[in-house]
Amino acid sequence: MQKDKFFKSIKNKLHPGEKLVSTHCCYCGMQCGMNLRVDTSTNTIIGVEPRYDFPVNLGRMCPKGVTAYQQVNHPDRIKRPLIRRNPAWKGTAQGFEEVSWDEALTYIVDRFRQLQEAYGKDTLSVYSGVSMTNEKCYLTGKFARVGLQTRYVDYNGRFCMSSAAAGFNRSLGIDRGSTVPWSDLHQTDCLFIAGSNAAECHPTSMFRIWEVQNRGGYLIVADPRETPLARRADVHLDLRPGTDLALANGLLHLLIKNGYTDEAFIQNHTNGFAETKALVEAYTPAYVSEITGIAEEKIIRAAEIYGKAPEAIVMFCRGVEQQSKGTDNVSAYTNLALVTGKIGRPKSGVATFTGQGNGQGGREHGQKADQLPGYRKMDNPQHVQEVACAWGIPVEEMPQKGVSAYEMFGLMLDKTIRGLYLLCSNPAVSAPNQNHVREALKSLDFMVCVDFYLSESAEYADVVLPTTTWAEDEGTTTNLEGRVIRHRQAQSWYAESKPDWWIQIEIAKRMGRGQYFAHLNGPRDIFDELRRVSKGGTADYYGITYEKIEEQQGVFWPCRDEHDQGQPHLFLDKKFYHPDGKAKICALPYRPPAEEPDAEYPLRLTTGRVVYHYLSGNQTRRIPFLRDMYPDPLLEVHPDTAKAYGIAHGEKVLLKTRRGEAVYKVKVIAAIRPDTVFVPYHWGKDESINLLTNPALDPYSKMPEFKACAAEIVKLEKGERLHG
Amino acid sequence: MAKQVLYIEMDNCIGCRSCLAACTQCGGHDNRNRNYVMDVDPLQTRQTIPLMCLHCVNPACARSCPAQAIQIADNGAVLSALVEKCIGCQNCTIACPYGIPKFDQEQNLMYKCDLCYDRSKEGIPPMCASVCPTNTLQWITESELAEKQAVHKLAGGKWLASQRPEPLEGETNVKISLPGILQGVQKLF
Repeated sequence: MQKDKFFKSIKNKLHPGEKLVSTHCCYCGMQCGMNLRVDTSTNTIIGVEPRYDFPVNLGRMCPKGVTAYQQVNHPDRIKRPLIRRNPAWKGTAQGFEEVSWDEALTYIVDRFRQLQEAYGKDTLSVYSGVSMTNEKCYLTGKFARVGLQTRYVDYNGRFCMSSAAAGFNRSLGIDRGSTVPWSDLHQTDCLFIAGSNAAECHPTSMFRIWEVQNRGGYLIVADPRETPLARRADVHLDLRPGTDLALANGLLHLLIKNGYTDEAFIQNHTNGFAETKALVEAYTPAYVSEITGIAEEKIIRAAEIYGKAPEAIVMFCRGVEQQSKGTDNVSAYTNLALVTGKIGRPKSGVATFTGQGNGQGGREHGQKADQLPGYRKMDNPQHVQEVACAWGIPVEEMPQKGVSAYEMFGLMLDKTIRGLYLLCSNPAVSAPNQNHVREALKSLDFMVCVDFYLSESAEYADVVLPTTTWAEDEGTTTNLEGRVIRHRQAQSWYAESKPDWWIQIEIAKRMGRGQYFAHLNGPRDIFDELRRVSKGGTADYYGITYEKIEEQQGVFWPCRDEHDQGQPHLFLDKKFYHPDGKAKICALPYRPPAEEPDAEYPLRLTTGRVVYHYLSGNQTRRIPFLRDMYPDPLLEVHPDTAKAYGIAHGEKVLLKTRRGEAVYKVKVIAAIRPDTVFVPYHWGKDESINLLTNPALDPYSKMPEFKACAAEIVKLEKGERLHG
Repeated sequence: MAKQVLYIEMDNCIGCRSCLAACTQCGGHDNRNRNYVMDVDPLQTRQTIPLMCLHCVNPACARSCPAQAIQIADNGAVLSALVEKCIGCQNCTIACPYGIPKFDQEQNLMYKCDLCYDRSKEGIPPMCASVCPTNTLQWITESELAEKQAVHKLAGGKWLASQRPEPLEGETNVKISLPGILQGVQKLF
């Protein structure tokens, strides 16, 4: 691959008595390369040093990345397994006692067996996450289906990447987050970025994004807020939350009307254009302006820039995806690239900013309710047969497909699910409609939580098992480009904590399923099995080895054999992954968010991240620097709206929706639409904005509508306003 | 090794304060940041700008020091006060027009940015410029700087900390492009 414009050959600072372990950050999908500083006398991680030669970030890190290492030897780490025998304490951090691993595992297996004997295999469930390696994600799917023999396994990607996945699969026949490597971003002529606050959520993309403008290219940003990214945009499409589909259709209308389409590309490489053209006929700038609240001339200008740009990349993020029509939004924005033929070549394409560290790899290898490793589908009998065969189980033993993450809480409340094995996730903060979710967790007969800190969700568990942080284990993740990279162990397992793979294999053995797991002695064995099982699937990892990752600074899947170097660019042959090789242009009529503002709840509430925190905040809220920078959630309100409600900057107010309410300190800022308010979602308990969010699910991806619901602000009595 | 300088493009700043976090990680910095990021007008915009020591060619902090505790290194870095010389008078904290030197009451000692001298003396970029995800803070050679200078016209060809009516402080070793960096960029189409 050619040398990046920003690459500089820089040596590292090495302090006496230290060594550097080259690895990656644990947080978002950027998976920035970093070196961990290890004290060689104590063999402990003590700091961070940039990794200037890793091609994605070239040494750059956000404040989360710089301080990530502080998690490892943090005083809040759980040191030994915890059991709580009195369920009355559920929902609190009280009543846990430290026990040995043997006692904890015996207790778990006894309870799992009792439940399954009384209520059937499917009474157990596994709820997982993708802030962990491919090895662990793969094993978790196998652990649920073969180890525990339950159909109920799903993961927190349903709150993250599932709409992008469903949309890309529908439009392109494949779900790889980006059709181009990140080093293409700064070389393109136009970036169209919708629903992404990249400056705060994927900050190490920013030097490439700004470079487009430095070169004279254009930046178009669609966001209800003037984010640090939108601040410098050539066109800021300041839409109402939840109206992306109308905007995308409106842009498509203009691209077609003004002759920016590539007829030959449409003819040869796509289906569905005529139908879509007919549908978007009605999406005139005036109509779209009325729905979205964006000025007509901005919509026209944005379409003109994107249409004229020789090369352009369409990018999006959770802003468009966390809607009850998130899948449609993804396909509708992908339409822009398909009708103009700006895809399937360097510097042009589509990409989503993957939220979680291994959001990409973690959704490919079978911990999703309807999926098996290698991106195989559970409703395809041949796929099921292939995986059953690879695992050595009779095909009739393969459990049926389960339900999505949010739907599992409903099954807990109706007692279909009585036992939960939770790992790598904190749904007591991150799931929508928290009152429902917390009630569901409390109703469980038995719950195990695996984490390295006592998260809000762990407070509902009967047994808490201490696991290792990312820096204490080996393995691979797949970053937002689709590049498989390697994490290295920099320190031995903290106190008595164990990696997830160790715990799952141990439980599987004790459940009498050891024959399917006993050959796995660590991440390398698991990766080798994953490679073999993924062979022939869409996400084919067979040709990827730890050594090849090392040599090439990562390997882009699909990588089908030993000689395959992987595919940094997708579709260079203009072959899409549908059976006929064509992409699908989708006709998608606009529909409003599941809940629109009304007289009772006149504001639109949207949620998101801040640069200092990650997901549920279970990790970042404990890091002193990050906590000090952004200690409590703030409610962003436009000055005109603040004036109308008679509230001041810094004042505490009650924010409420039909599902819940919480008190927040107001941050008055003109950089948000007056009809919209924003609260970041990284806090739990009474501060959780997910007490208020709407669980309306996208029909395809089962993604809840975090990004748009109806809300109202209530001014508090004088004493309450200043409290805290 | 070609001489390298810290160069700041204010307009790129996104307010992530990664430079502050990174500053605490420099070996000689006692886990305490010596650089700052300001919200320009927080009720109106999310624009932020870094406030870094500019390493003045003739620094007010050093001039004001009665004990010669503030040394200037060979690469132009205006160093933190020497422990053995600093008398804790805090003149420097008042003299600096940008408020960069800070005072540690407990240690009775001034501390400030030293351009990560333990790194920069070996040609390794300071931590802030190493991690800055936006290229607001860049560690560049003098020839790269000349290219920047050709694009951004400056009064008298000098990079002054402030230009009118009189500079707050004269020429600085750290070079700055103020907000408005895209003015004059020729659009591609």
